[in-house]
Amino acid sequence: MYTVATGHAYQSTLYTWVGGEAVPYELTFGILLDQLSTLMLVIVSLISFLVHVFSLGYMNDEDEGGLARYYAELGLFSASMLGFVFADNLLMAFMFFELVGLCSYLLIGFWFREAGPPSAAKKAFLVTRFGDYFFLIGVVAVFATFGTAAFGGPGVEESFPHLAELALDGEASVNTFGFAPSTWFTIVGLLVLGGVMGKSAQFPFHTWLPDAMEGPTPVSALIHAATMVAAGVYLVARMYGFYALSPTALGVIAFVGGFTALFAATMGVVKREIKQVLAYSTISQYGYIMLALGGGGYVAGVFHLTTHAVFKALLFLGAGSVIIAMHHNENMWDMGGLKDEMPVTYYAFLSGSLALAGIVPFSGFWSKDEVLFETLIHGLGDSPLLLGAYAMGLLAVFFTGFYTFRMVLLTFHGEPRSDTARDPHGVRWNVKVPLVVLGTLAAVVGVINLTPVHTLVPAVPEFLHDWLFHGPEGLNGEHYEELLHDFAGYTKGYPLGETLTMLASAAVSLGLALAGAGLAVALYRGPEPVEHTDKLGALKTVLFNNYYQDEFQVWLAEGLTARVAGAADTVDVSGIDGVVNFVSSLSLFTGDRLRRVQTGIVSNYAALLTLGLTILLVAFGVMQGWFL
Amino acid sequence: MMLELLVGVCLLGAFVTFALPEEYAPEAALGISLVPLAVSLYMYAVFDGVGNALLGGDPAFETQYAWLTLGRYDVTWHMGLDGISMPLVVLATLLTTLAILASWTPIDERQSQFYGLMLFMEASLVGVFGALDFLIWFVFWEAVLVPMYFLIGVWGGARRKYAAIKFFVYTNIASIVMFIGFFGLVFGLGDSIASLDLPAVAQALRAGELGGLGLLSASQVATLAFVAMFLGFAVKVPVVPFHTWLPDAHVEAPTPASVMLAGVLLKMGTYALLRYNFTMLPGIAQSFAVPIALLGVISIVYGALLALAQSDLKRIVAYSSVSSMGYVMLGLVAYTMYGTGGATFQMVAHGLISGLLFACVGVVYNTTHTRMVGDMSGLADRMPVTVGAFVAGGFAYMGLPLMAGFAGEFFVFVGTFGADFAGAPVFTSVGMFGIVIVAGYLLWSMQATLFGPFESATDYEVSPAAVHDVVPLLVLVVFIIALGTFPYDLAFDAILEATRHRARPVRVRQHRPRVEQQSRPRGHRLRRLAGGDGRVGRVPRLWRR
Repeated sequence: MYTVATGHAYQSTLYTWVGGEAVPYELTFGILLDQLSTLMLVIVSLISFLVHVFSLGYMNDEDEGGLARYYAELGLFSASMLGFVFADNLLMAFMFFELVGLCSYLLIGFWFREAGPPSAAKKAFLVTRFGDYFFLIGVVAVFATFGTAAFGGPGVEESFPHLAELALDGEASVNTFGFAPSTWFTIVGLLVLGGVMGKSAQFPFHTWLPDAMEGPTPVSALIHAATMVAAGVYLVARMYGFYALSPTALGVIAFVGGFTALFAATMGVVKREIKQVLAYSTISQYGYIMLALGGGGYVAGVFHLTTHAVFKALLFLGAGSVIIAMHHNENMWDMGGLKDEMPVTYYAFLSGSLALAGIVPFSGFWSKDEVLFETLIHGLGDSPLLLGAYAMGLLAVFFTGFYTFRMVLLTFHGEPRSDTARDPHGVRWNVKVPLVVLGTLAAVVGVINLTPVHTLVPAVPEFLHDWLFHGPEGLNGEHYEELLHDFAGYTKGYPLGETLTMLASAAVSLGLALAGAGLAVALYRGPEPVEHTDKLGALKTVLFNNYYQDEFQVWLAEGLTARVAGAADTVDVSGIDGVVNFVSSLSLFTGDRLRRVQTGIVSNYAALLTLGLTILLVAFGVMQGWFL
Repeated sequence: MMLELLVGVCLLGAFVTFALPEEYAPEAALGISLVPLAVSLYMYAVFDGVGNALLGGDPAFETQYAWLTLGRYDVTWHMGLDGISMPLVVLATLLTTLAILASWTPIDERQSQFYGLMLFMEASLVGVFGALDFLIWFVFWEAVLVPMYFLIGVWGGARRKYAAIKFFVYTNIASIVMFIGFFGLVFGLGDSIASLDLPAVAQALRAGELGGLGLLSASQVATLAFVAMFLGFAVKVPVVPFHTWLPDAHVEAPTPASVMLAGVLLKMGTYALLRYNFTMLPGIAQSFAVPIALLGVISIVYGALLALAQSDLKRIVAYSSVSSMGYVMLGLVAYTMYGTGGATFQMVAHGLISGLLFACVGVVYNTTHTRMVGDMSGLADRMPVTVGAFVAGGFAYMGLPLMAGFAGEFFVFVGTFGADFAGAPVFTSVGMFGIVIVAGYLLWSMQATLFGPFESATDYEVSPAAVHDVVPLLVLVVFIIALGTFPYDLAFDAILEATRHRARPVRVRQHRPRVEQQSRPRGHRLRRLAGGDGRVGRVPRLWRR
């Protein structure tokens, strides 16, 4: 950490998985500690620690069984994520990426004696595996193309983003399989992106995430804030030097992100269960991070990743606290009035909600604003297509404000709507301490990058910006900006001048957030709120059923694949094996004429075989004159 | 002599076990099988083979005696192990011991015969991997079939007769086709060889000594022989569409026999393909690269789809073997370091993993007396250790990193993607889709049988399995994780040592002098691993700290 803080970085190969002079390239494990990975290490360790503390309250105090298994899996989960974060090459990243997937499978399916969790765990692994299929092709293609999968860092002579850069400049030649280098790099980038979209639950691979709520709530916090889902977008940031070379890949990232942000936010509007709302908000927020990275805002993306980790962990742990209080009832329509019964949870949760909705001065405002601003200025520059992604992201701000405050009001305000809400179960220090820590952070963590303030008052530092710009050669924000400019053709456009454009962008996004929040407050305040989204009619049904995405995927799995498999089975049994059996019965029929030979006893067959072999040998022998 | 000792111990043990009274057979067989296991592990530890045994390398534990003369041809007793066969010998001895232990519960009649046959099969398997003379190799090759036939036919399920005969006849016809193909080569070589010694044949072929035969030109002989041998071995592997004997054999076979069948017997097919087709006739193999890769990819995807359509756990695992062996085919045809080495590594990895899954299914069946997915659920509640091993095996099969399957598959993928033949990246990418389908059917069947509320359609008491039932599972899990975490140090370096001469561009038809092969100093594996020979560069740095 100290090395990195002083502007240096550390890279070291730990173990050679496959080496030796025989192989064309070695496969290694190593650590790369630069500005990005240390930041992520701090986030992961902090959230993971708080989740462990919270688990004492959520699991131990509730007398859950299998605690040893729970904590072992939780520890493995954190370890896998840390291994992923400081991986110094793409293969190691993939391997720990998969281990993260395994741990989430184990933890989502923690309550394996019930029917729901194992099914959700299977879905999570399978859907992300589908994305990882593309990722693995990407890894293999990177090796085949560059002969190395190193991300770079001090002491690394050849890294694949750098080689790609050289190849585009015509200074290095790599195997691009007959494509133009830029086309091939785009293909490889998009393949790796498959894994990103799977893990970060981007459309159309987002369907596993809401189901993953079947796992224990602290696990949800860990998955959503700092580990599995974060792993996807972190990978894009990690190899940003590669993505920045391809405007097409960036465009796809931005559009997937913008669309997911909006798409998921609309579904969050109608959900009944508190964790479901949070699940869709997670999908939506990761959409923003993708939007930022695709829109050329490397710092903005990492910034939002940081703030989101804090406030989403907070919201999940807050929801966990509420769920303890509600005796594991998650339906918001059974809650209400919890504000007075559990003030610590309420204020912490409120802090997280304000951050999520993007209300000034909470952390989420600063990061979300920067995300939108970066996309906007690059869109106003020479990449007008980005404006479409920007518009979707902007619209999603309104929905975010709405579903966030709908959730807050239904849960904490009004009159209690059930007996458990009237007499909630108390929580202890081990629940409250993580909430207080995260609640405070969610309010203030935005100071690490007060870009708008910095622009107005240059004396206010932009810590994160400076931090990321002082990375090692080839892995810092400055280098990425050059790449974006030179290769992706990203330029900045300020129609109203730099300061005014920025303020206008901030005002628009804040206004939309306030409008959404205000609408929610207007509709759901009062002691007995009613479900206003019912007025949406058929639209609500569509939203409530998640645009029938799940049905479509179930059809893909059961309707299509299972049917193809069934057809293959029919072909196999009656077709291929039919031929085999036909040949055999044909010979049996022939054999029927020679009853004495066809005894059905294998020793006779064996004898026949030996006899045949001998005859053959003799025949060959005679032919070749062995016996002369 | 070590290798002969290994075969001899197994053979002697087989006869002793045959003669023993029923009640002592299980323990005696286990005890006897520990001897070859220990010997093979020791051999692996001191293994110092250099190069490829067939291409002028210097195999370890080599013995060569003139034995008898058949016409113009000398038959020599020639055995030895190189980096390709050594890991497979260890695999065979390990799986035999574990399969014997896994037989204690399910096998309760004719025990001395059963265990005697298991040991007899072990002897034959070691012989197949160790033999370096065609005739000896062929004798062992055929000798493997006999015990397996009886294991299926006597101790099998309801349709055991059908399955056993199908297995025996199908693979035997294949053997004859292969036999004819090989002798076509031998006769085509004419006077340039004086024995059926495999290295001599291989080197003569690679030196371009093959002549015409009758009306056929040399290249026609080579092509026909290649096709004949390929067909013969493809049945054994099995490659789609020659695979239909496999699910029947597996479903009817008693579990320990399934472990051996999937774990080791299938590897005989790919091992022989590597030794004969791909080593002796590299030019033809490369000209057939596209159709062979196509067969490999079809095996992967089609086999996985078939597995998806099954509801009998054993059938699921059986079809998934078809799929996994497709990866081996893909790796073999690549002709790259990672491709060929990865294919060999995958043989070992798949042997362990499919052995583990079959053993798990066996334990489940011993307890619940059903293998149908719909007939049980929530077994995790009643038999946690078995289920833990099952889940580990499942994930190993899906290619979870740090487990052996991932290493094998990844080497194959990375080796094939950049291979020279047309469309290699496309074949690789399509074949890789197997990793998604395998996750589909294994996760589905695990969810249905292992998790959820406990239910069983049969009336048997479901309780945790006995210690001797779960020990084989846990041993296999340990081996799989060790091999996946340290693939190079544990096996891949030995494999590469033998395959790298084959994986070079093979258009050079010059016979390579023996001296050139000595690029690597001889030394015992253990000493090399410990850094004792001063070759610091390749010692894992983690271990030195």
